[in-house]
Amino acid sequence: MTRNTARDWYKDAVFYEVHVKAFMDANGDGIGDFAGLTESLDYVQELGVDCLWILPMYPSPLRDDGYDISDFYGIHPSYGTVEDFQKFLDAAHARDLRVIADLVMNHTSDQHPWFQASRSNPASLYGDYYVWNPSDRRFNDARVIFVDTEKSNWTPDPVRREYYWHRFFSHQPDLNYDNPAVRRAMLDVMRFWLDRGLDGFRCDAVPYLVEREGTSCENLPETHAILKEFRAVIDREYGGDRVLLAEANQWPEDVRHYFGDGDEFHMAFHFPLMPRLYLGLRLEDSRPITDIFTHTPPIPPACQWALFLRNHDELTLEMVTNEERAFMYYAYAHERDMKLNLGIRRRLAPLLDGDRRRVELLNCLLLTLPGSPIIYYGDEIGMGDNVYLGDRNGVRTPMQWSRDRNAGFSSAEHGQLYLPVITDPVYGYEAVNVAAQTRQPSSLLNTMRRLLATRRTSSVFGRGGIEFLRPRNSKVLAYLRRFERETLLIVANLSAAPQPVEVDLAAFAGVTPIEMLGGTVFPTIRTAPYFLSLGPHGFYWFRLERPGDGDEPFGIERTAI
Amino acid sequence: MSALADGPTLSADVDRQLEGLPQADLAVTVPTYNNAATVPVVVDAIRAGLEKHFAGMTTVLINADAGSSDATAERLADSGLPLVRAHHESPAAQLAAVPFHGVPGRGAALRLAVGVARRLGARALVVLEADVTSISGEWLERLARPVLEQGADLVLPLHARQRYDGTITNLVLAPLVGALYGRRLHQPLAGARALSTRVLERLAADPRWPAPGRSMTDLWIEGTAIAEGFAVHEARLGRWRVESETRTADLPTMVAQTLGGVFTVMDGYEDLWLQAAGGAPVPVEGPPAPASDEPARIDVERMVGAFGRGLRDLGTIWEHVLAPETLGDVLSLETDDVERFRFPDDLWAHVVYDFALGHHYNVVYRDHLLRSIVPLYLGRTAAFVLATRRRDAAAVEAALAAVADAFEREKPYLVDRWR
Repeated sequence: MTRNTARDWYKDAVFYEVHVKAFMDANGDGIGDFAGLTESLDYVQELGVDCLWILPMYPSPLRDDGYDISDFYGIHPSYGTVEDFQKFLDAAHARDLRVIADLVMNHTSDQHPWFQASRSNPASLYGDYYVWNPSDRRFNDARVIFVDTEKSNWTPDPVRREYYWHRFFSHQPDLNYDNPAVRRAMLDVMRFWLDRGLDGFRCDAVPYLVEREGTSCENLPETHAILKEFRAVIDREYGGDRVLLAEANQWPEDVRHYFGDGDEFHMAFHFPLMPRLYLGLRLEDSRPITDIFTHTPPIPPACQWALFLRNHDELTLEMVTNEERAFMYYAYAHERDMKLNLGIRRRLAPLLDGDRRRVELLNCLLLTLPGSPIIYYGDEIGMGDNVYLGDRNGVRTPMQWSRDRNAGFSSAEHGQLYLPVITDPVYGYEAVNVAAQTRQPSSLLNTMRRLLATRRTSSVFGRGGIEFLRPRNSKVLAYLRRFERETLLIVANLSAAPQPVEVDLAAFAGVTPIEMLGGTVFPTIRTAPYFLSLGPHGFYWFRLERPGDGDEPFGIERTAI
Repeated sequence: MSALADGPTLSADVDRQLEGLPQADLAVTVPTYNNAATVPVVVDAIRAGLEKHFAGMTTVLINADAGSSDATAERLADSGLPLVRAHHESPAAQLAAVPFHGVPGRGAALRLAVGVARRLGARALVVLEADVTSISGEWLERLARPVLEQGADLVLPLHARQRYDGTITNLVLAPLVGALYGRRLHQPLAGARALSTRVLERLAADPRWPAPGRSMTDLWIEGTAIAEGFAVHEARLGRWRVESETRTADLPTMVAQTLGGVFTVMDGYEDLWLQAAGGAPVPVEGPPAPASDEPARIDVERMVGAFGRGLRDLGTIWEHVLAPETLGDVLSLETDDVERFRFPDDLWAHVVYDFALGHHYNVVYRDHLLRSIVPLYLGRTAAFVLATRRRDAAAVEAALAAVADAFEREKPYLVDRWR
């Protein structure tokens, strides 16, 4: 693996999302730490990903798994020190891995010294750091996001005797971005970590920075202006290769604004695609997937979508219709405990009934649709979940390294672990672990490594456009990816039964498809529809090579004879 | 020499066309396959060359076509020259993937042209390529004059090329063919050439014409001419610019086709090369033309990387093909520091000879064998570029001569193991 030195390296990158607490515990206290993560970097490198995304690592009362930050300049003591973080970052860079970290810009913990000062002394420097109001009757048009736990976006503070504004939990007061001092303070926070070599931030909850009366208080022009200002400063001061990834759980037309004219975020999550991948698979119908792309606006050339199948949150269903949501609950969350807010709190493998073929198929789509894929730690070995652990903890259990005690994650006592390891007979660590799958050539882990290695052979995956072919058999999804002179054809069977498909490839008559995963040369394309048959949930990745159309990686090809 | 009737049988259609034609002093043939876009340029050059240099001669244009579906035939007819048109069979595989020289079944085209030229009593047959647009009228003169006036029997082209053009030709084909036949030919598979009446007579009567699609007919003609003591010359032509939609530019395919072609000739015509020795140069006609000096953008690092990946991935095939000592030497080449990467000439000669032997004894499925040499070729090419890129043209010539020396010196290694 060599380091991608392009300024837009994130367009080619595969991201790996990891909790420090969940990956590896080096000091035996039952909680993963940076020293453990550093020890595990060989595994991450061998998996074939390019960039780690570290979930919140800062000091925090952990009432929202670290998204309630009480000190932006530190590392949570359970995870180590800023020095440990630096060692980890340097070790990752030495392996040509990049690292981005979560940063919560919208709010802090109510334990943050800024909030404590703001509530106790309104006249202080920090008095105006948060959004205060004498009553709870302001910004009434803003929705409540965590409907299962919060009744209002306003909570009375007994100390200051005013209400404070919060879009998430009541212990997470929103910062007041109308205050220039807050904007300066947040930029200083970012500089602190970028100075250490961090490659960028995944910015949490960005649509909510600014509030205005009579609006939903989401995606406001004032919010975009602030984000552009941040981007300009970071580009100017850090050479333009640090990446900003927006978490904006919105429809693509709204998310589009977060790219600006290529001068706001480099990347943003494509939230609506993800549930539709599951929907398409369950319905055995490609149309939910093709449809969402017709609703996906083009983005500036230097920008990129971030794609994912699962993450640390619930599988969010905010971005589907009510009808689709009901079907998704029916199909993927048959027990009540599996639902949370507007989503499903399960991991990839159990969502798909542990069906290896479906797991591979969804990963195939993740790696071949336009965007940079994000793999959630543990999903590469098909880890399970524990929906009885409350909130989203069921998908945040310790990484399963081996069949040793505590899954090889920690030498602590069982009861000391921050969360119990998965022990059920199907997904438990004795059955599902890195050590066993490393030895087994046909394991999911080794299959993922092969898929990732193949993806690495072409920049079309990260940079090409997409064109759906819409064969008559709608159980089969077929699309072309093109970049510069290279064209790939992806064909995927969403059905559990074998399917025949005829794909119109007349424009490629004379071209020879080469299956990329096996290197097999397929029959040359003619003007007649190209016939393929696919096994249950089977897929092909073809490179379409026009005779004499090979790219010239060496510079001697054209005149070699 | 055999009687006329012993020559190749021509089709009734061609016979009919010949009936009305007078004898021709000079025959020019252009094998074609979907070359409508470039044929006018070639025809203009032929007409200009004939008018300027061969004004008093009767001439005929022979078109051997592989089954063009475009307006190639019409464009040729536009020339106004006396024209014989013939179609030839092409192997299906070559129609599906057109070879590097651009004409499926080129051997059949050559045989047809030889037959027609001989029937018309031509004193020289000039072969030109239908998609080479850098052609000028002078080419006709440079190729035909040695045959008509200097007693040459076979004139091969020597195109002016940029130093890193033609790396397959310069580093594999030319040294290998030179060592086999005992004559240094610079560009044995360049498509233009001229043949004398004596050679036409000799070939027309030969029952050993390679079967279409099996063997490289051009190489067989060269080997036959050299082995039987015909006078072989080279003529300096200008730059060689191809404008083709059909010629393959896929490196592994080109390597497989050219090397496979040589290896098949080696198998089928041992008498042409087993005994031959030395590497005498052939006379070169015409003034040197300046080569293009466009800077080449060659990614040496990537080539060495491909060589390194070959070491990793193709070891199991190479174990079957390469002699243990050759494999050991290849494995010990240092790839860590690209700038210092080297690939000795003697080792390279052994590698190519081992592949020829592997092909001969069929140790691995032949297509796999031919393709598996590609990383080795890339490694050798990278070493050549690294050794010469900061040096002058004379140093490049010297480096290529050293490769040829090595192939000639090591030829006994091949011959000893061939039986």
